[in-house]
Amino acid sequence: MKITLIDYGMGNHLSVRNALSRLGYNSSVSQDPIVIKNSDFIILPGVGSFRRAMENLNGLGLSEAIIQAATENGIPMLGICLGMQLLGSESTEDGTSEGLHLIDNKISKLDSSSGIRIPHVGFNNVYWKTANALTDELNQNSDFYFTHSYAMTDSDKSADYIYCDYGAPFVAGFRKHNIFGVQFHPEKSQRTGLKLLKNFLEIKRA
Amino acid sequence: MLKKRLIFTLLYKNGSFLLSRNFRLQRVGDIQWLFKNYHFETISDAIDELIVLNLDDDETKIPGFLNTLEEMVGHCMIPVAAGGQIRSVEMASALLAHGADKLVVNTACFEQPELVEELVSRYGSQCMVASIDWTGPDNLKVFSHSAAQEQGLLHDHLKRLEGLNVGEIYLNAIHRDGTGQGYDFDALNAVPNDWKVPIIMAGGAGHSSHLSQALEHPLIDAAATANLFNFVGKGLASARRELLQCEAPLAKFDD
Repeated sequence: MKITLIDYGMGNHLSVRNALSRLGYNSSVSQDPIVIKNSDFIILPGVGSFRRAMENLNGLGLSEAIIQAATENGIPMLGICLGMQLLGSESTEDGTSEGLHLIDNKISKLDSSSGIRIPHVGFNNVYWKTANALTDELNQNSDFYFTHSYAMTDSDKSADYIYCDYGAPFVAGFRKHNIFGVQFHPEKSQRTGLKLLKNFLEIKRA
Repeated sequence: MLKKRLIFTLLYKNGSFLLSRNFRLQRVGDIQWLFKNYHFETISDAIDELIVLNLDDDETKIPGFLNTLEEMVGHCMIPVAAGGQIRSVEMASALLAHGADKLVVNTACFEQPELVEELVSRYGSQCMVASIDWTGPDNLKVFSHSAAQEQGLLHDHLKRLEGLNVGEIYLNAIHRDGTGQGYDFDALNAVPNDWKVPIIMAGGAGHSSHLSQALEHPLIDAAATANLFNFVGKGLASARRELLQCEAPLAKFDD
């Protein structure tokens, strides 16, 4: 089984790879479009600003490879944190920039008008109305580790969502066909996080 | 509900982990000592995050620190913030490449604010923790260079850090550092109105009741301890258990 973590110069791959090896999976890190398109599972991690991440993805010729892998090849794909946001349509972080448009949701700063502190850092519980493959055997209100200032909307109606409340509800995760995203860090979320990663790697390709 | 956090801070210099008392350092043990005495494989059951600070200004020792960082990250599945000696984007990027999730800056906030701005823009606010060493009792002051150089008022520095868009503040009381006498909450009087940045309290925790005082405080988001002796063995795990029994707002982890 070929699990590829996409390297675009901005992710912390080590923690995700450590978590996968705890589950008994080998993974590799690549920025080669051919390797990416021939994977069984693709993980898009990421720490940093949306604009710089998209500049890197475009500059390395990876945006097209990711879109093809997800749409034409139907490879199960998981975006983590910034990686999830990159799957969206656009973000207002560091000026407005376009995302990969794999899900039709915009990304904007968390609303702090209720007095919440930003960034949103720490464990917070998540919930869902419609279960999806990622939430299999997970309890509603499980705690996951978050660290972010921006979040995605849920305007794309063709997806199932996981939510979290911080000031107001925001998208903590989604599934749209074979494309998945989580705003939290499953690789930093104890056994619950490992279970979620395992759920992702057990998805059967359509 | 967002939970508060329990953080363990490790001070590192040239292959050893150190105990600091009012910034006087004592070597305690190497990474094997740490793994063994802190049951490192299960430490993520007890704490929410780890902070690792390299106190060595000898640049030839940086590769050794990076290797130690990577080894620690491989042994615990929790967020790790790393810092000490961050004077360039290259150093910051090396820490992240060796497994750090966040960067801790202190002296750079005074001497190279443009570097802090660059790191915020590159990696995002959530990646940047500004550590502050402060002391009182009157006119609370901040210090850089491991508490050696005075840098003005705590209140002004907090304002400056807010302007730099750092993601978190690590508030360390120099006079309580390593004493085990409990936190000094006076620093919170210097926090500007309408403050939005998460605060980690540090300096002085010696007992789980100290941690609990911090976690109950509305202005505090996380409680840190750097004391290598007070919570040795299963001390952190039992502290978390006691805190949860008193209904401290910490995450409950599944078995």
